[in-house]
This record gives sequence, structure tokens and C-alpha cells, in this order.
Amino acid sequence: MAGPDQQVEVRWRPSRHARRLLTLAFAGLLLATLTRRPELVGLAAPALLLLGVARPGFQGRSGRPGRPDRLTVRVSLASSRLYEDEVAAVDLAVDDTRFDARWLLQAGRGVEPASATGVNGSAARFEFTVPRWGRRHLGSAALVLHDPWRLTEGRAEVALPAVDCYPDPAMQRTRVVLSRLPNRLGEHAARVAGEGTEFAGVREYVPGDRQRAINWPASTRLGRLQVNTFAAERSQDIVLVVDATSQVGPPGHSALDMGLRGAAGAARAYLDGRDRVGVICYQWGGARWLAPSLGRRQFYKIIDTMLSADAGWGHGETFSRLPRAALPPGALVVVFSPLLDQKFVETLRDMRERGFGLFVVDLLNTVPPARRTFTDAMTRRIWRMEQQAIRFSLRELGVPVVHWDGVAPLDLPLAPYARRPLVVHR
Amino acid sequence: MIASRVLAAIAPRLAAVLLGAACIIWTVIPPRHSGLAGVALVLSIIGVTAGALRLALADVPQPEDQFFPSAPIRAWLTFLAALRALPWEEIAVVALLVLEVQHPARPWHTAALGFGLVAYLLAVHIGESGAPAGGLLRRQARLLLAGTCLLALGAGFAMLPTAGPGAGSALLRVLAAAAVVAAAALVLPGRE
Repeated sequence: MAGPDQQVEVRWRPSRHARRLLTLAFAGLLLATLTRRPELVGLAAPALLLLGVARPGFQGRSGRPGRPDRLTVRVSLASSRLYEDEVAAVDLAVDDTRFDARWLLQAGRGVEPASATGVNGSAARFEFTVPRWGRRHLGSAALVLHDPWRLTEGRAEVALPAVDCYPDPAMQRTRVVLSRLPNRLGEHAARVAGEGTEFAGVREYVPGDRQRAINWPASTRLGRLQVNTFAAERSQDIVLVVDATSQVGPPGHSALDMGLRGAAGAARAYLDGRDRVGVICYQWGGARWLAPSLGRRQFYKIIDTMLSADAGWGHGETFSRLPRAALPPGALVVVFSPLLDQKFVETLRDMRERGFGLFVVDLLNTVPPARRTFTDAMTRRIWRMEQQAIRFSLRELGVPVVHWDGVAPLDLPLAPYARRPLVVHR
Repeated sequence: MIASRVLAAIAPRLAAVLLGAACIIWTVIPPRHSGLAGVALVLSIIGVTAGALRLALADVPQPEDQFFPSAPIRAWLTFLAALRALPWEEIAVVALLVLEVQHPARPWHTAALGFGLVAYLLAVHIGESGAPAGGLLRRQARLLLAGTCLLALGAGFAMLPTAGPGAGSALLRVLAAAAVVAAAALVLPGRE
């Protein structure tokens, strides 16, 4: 992805090599004068000769001005969007090839340089990774130009663009499917008979049935014509809810990090299954939402919506006033949360009482720090019991709560619920 | 493959260290026991050693800003900053020249020292910039050859018997040598 060419200003000055030669020459001449020893002038001669050729106004074969004040640099990114720890590259090229060029990458915060190719040349390629999601500025690249004698050097600073780093989606291949699916064509086998491909049962033939559906072994055994029936194939609405109110845990593995990775993995898995997926980011004082929809494009829209949320004070819709488009009836709501915010837990209870099918992925993987005192131990114990009580109360309401450590695939905690359709009592 | 890369990276730096050490040994022999000579010798050794350390640690990145670093880390950062801030090679060159003038006049010896110092500075530059040594030396070959000739001329000129007694004749010789250098610099062709 080539960006626009940048005009950069070049500042020329004597190189360190030139300064050293100058020191040698001046010291030789000074000592020659002081000690009246002419051989020291000869000692200064090579340095003076080398310095003499590096005069201003140097011109190359092309006849262009010797030391240009401005240069055109082309900056192109392999991709402006990448996942965490994915290797990406930025290509830099300068239009003036008369000078010995050297490139140095000054990586921005949160950007880790990986490798570099062609740093001693007119075109260079820097590879980098971004360990944590978010919008990252790549920093800048320093271009150092040397004349052929290496006695003057020009320095230019090239600003590099920013990249959007997406959370690395968690591995999820299985899907939790509701027992009641909306009447919309999809890929999940429903409980009602239809025109799908999954065998559902055998019933007696009635006029109008297709002949190719006749089950001849069953017909021979029972003496009457029997036909195969198939399950209808339906899709479902999935609403992913990411709790952005709690940022607990070590950086890079906090509850918010795991929530974003888990939600991204779930979004990809359900979108691959032709389901309509939407997202709600729950923040302090509000929520950002994206209505469920289909397709690969929806995946990037979901991640963009999640990245626009942070652990600060939200300015979106109030959670209790979300429109029907954001939370369609009959949708499966998959929640990623450490369940630390009591208000959020109350919201989940409220949603369950309104008849939504909820599924909670518990992201709490840390405990409050405590000293080795009786009070701290007791406090921690009470805190643990309180957390267990919150999860127990949700389970009592019929909300499955599974724990995910953020490292293992999401299939592991979901396995007990992915084997058969999830029954939700309204 | 890896060994050849490592060798290509450290060869210029090693060459710089060896040339610096050779220049010191070349200058110090025969040893002089005056106070100024001792100081110059110590300074030149410090300069060459610190320059070698700077080259060896050139690839060590400057760590990002940290809050409340520990004492060893603070000492390491200060050491790195001092190593990279001071012009160690210039200090070594000036000290070596001062050490050389402590000896009685020896023109060919001084000329060889001049050649060694230019080679040392070139090796330091190649080591710190990563420039291809072959290409750089090819470009500067004519100039280096002319410089060597001027070195030889200067040394030979110094070995001529004095034209006459007094300070004036010595000053004349210095001026004549400088004129030769300036003339050569002016007429030298091919400034690409």
C-alpha cells in the first residue's frame, strides 16, 4: 500500500570522519609550527587532501545540485491493518541515488522492530510487529546520506504512518447454537423439518412427497412407502457483549485484552457459519453497538467498533435503552467479562429476565494483591466467595458461565455447550 | 553463513583496535620518561580503548526511559552516554602526536605514524558506519596515494640539511611543505 511521496528536508553537516581528519590536520600543523618540524606538515597532508575534496557544491554525474536541500521519499506499508504479533513491513525509498544512504528505524511506542533489509541503500525494508492491539504510530525513519568521500553527511527525518493493530482472534472452531432458531436460511440444523441435508427421521409417504426421498429399506420392512425427512437449516443472531469497564490483570493479558481477543475469535467463528453477528461494548455510563450482520466485512466493522471503546467513560447509548437492532429478540448473547462490575451483572440478570439467551465467558484470571496478614487473607477469601456467589446466581438464572484463561482455544470451555443446541427457557 | 556475517561485522572494528594499538606502540618506542610523554601515553591508551569499546557497543540500543532505574542500570546508562558523547578518537590522535613530538626528530618514523593514523581513522569510520570497505577505499585510493606521496615528500624534505641557522629557515621549510600540500589539493582532478 504505497502512500504519498514525502518531501523531506535534509540538513547537511561535516561527518564525524571529517571532524577527526580535521583534528589530525590541525594538530599536525599546530605542532609543526610550535616545534618547527616540517615532517608533521607532511603528516597532516593526507587529511588535508581528503578534506579538500569535500567542498560545498559537489556535483555528481547527473549535473544536479551537489547537496539537495529537499528529497522525495516514498513510504509504503505492506498493510495498514495487522493482528497482534503479526509481522508487517514498511518500505522506504529515496529518489536520489547519488549518495550512500543509510536508514535507521526509530520505532514508536508499542512497536517492536523485527528485521531490516537494505538499510545501506536507496531503498530499505523494515519489518516490525505490534504486540498489543490499538492504533500505533510506527515512529520515524532517519535517513543519513553520505557523499562519496564520506566527509559530509545529510540527515533527514521521515515520518512513518500509523497502523491499526487488531486483537489476535482466539481460536474457536465450534459454535454454540440455540435450540430455537429464527426462520432464516443458514447452516445450523434446526429442530423443525425442512429442506436441509441433515437426516431427521422417517415418516409415511403422503401424496406430493418427492420420490427421491423414499426410504426403500424402511418401505420394504413396513410394507408401506416411507420417506426420509431432513432438518431445516437456519442461521442465528449472535450479539457479542464485551465488558470494557474492568482492566484487571497484567498488561497484554488483562481482562479487556482477553475480552477483545475472545470476541474477535467468536465473531470470526460465527461469521464463518453464516450467522449474523453484532457487538455491544459496555463502558462506564454507556455502550457502543453494531447491529448484527453477515460477511467478512462485518468482522472488521466489529473489531473497529470494539477498538473505539476503551476503559474510560463512554459516550454511547445507555445499555438499558439499546434499540431492537442492536439486540434482536431471540439472539444468543455471548458475554466476555470478568464480572467485576455489579451494575453490569445486574444488566445481565435483567437481559436474562427479558428472555435473552445468555452465555457468559468469565475472564477473571487474577486476584487482588494481599499481604501475609490475617486481615488480607480473610478479605481475599470474602472476595472470592462474593465472586463465586455472582457466578452461582447467574447459573441459577439459567445463564451458563464458563471460565477462559485467554491462552487455550475457546473451544475448550465451550465444549459442553457446543455438542447439542442450547435450550433457553423464555 | 552466520560466522561469515559476524566476521564481516567485527572485522573493521577489530582492524580499528589493532591499528590504534599499533600506532601507540609505534609512537612510544623508544620510551620517553618525561611527564608530558607519560600523560600523552595514558591519554592515547584511554582514547583508543574507549573508542574500541564505543565501536564494540555501537549496536547496544539505548533503553527507553524508565522510572526509578536501579543503581547498576543508572551506572550502565551513564557509562554508555559518556562513551558515546566524547570524541575518543580525536583525543587519541592528538595525544599520539604530542607523544611523537616528545621524541627527537625522526621524519620517516613520523611519516609512517601519519599513515597509520589515517588508516586508523578510516577503519574507525568503516567500523562505525558499516560502509563497504572495498568501495570506500577504491574511491579514495587516488587521494590516499597522493597523500602518501606528500607524506614521503614531507619526510624527505625534513631530512634535507638545514639551509642555514636560525628560526627563519625552519619556518620557511614549514611554509614550503604547506605550499606543496595546498598545491596538490588544488590541482588534484576527479572530485566525484
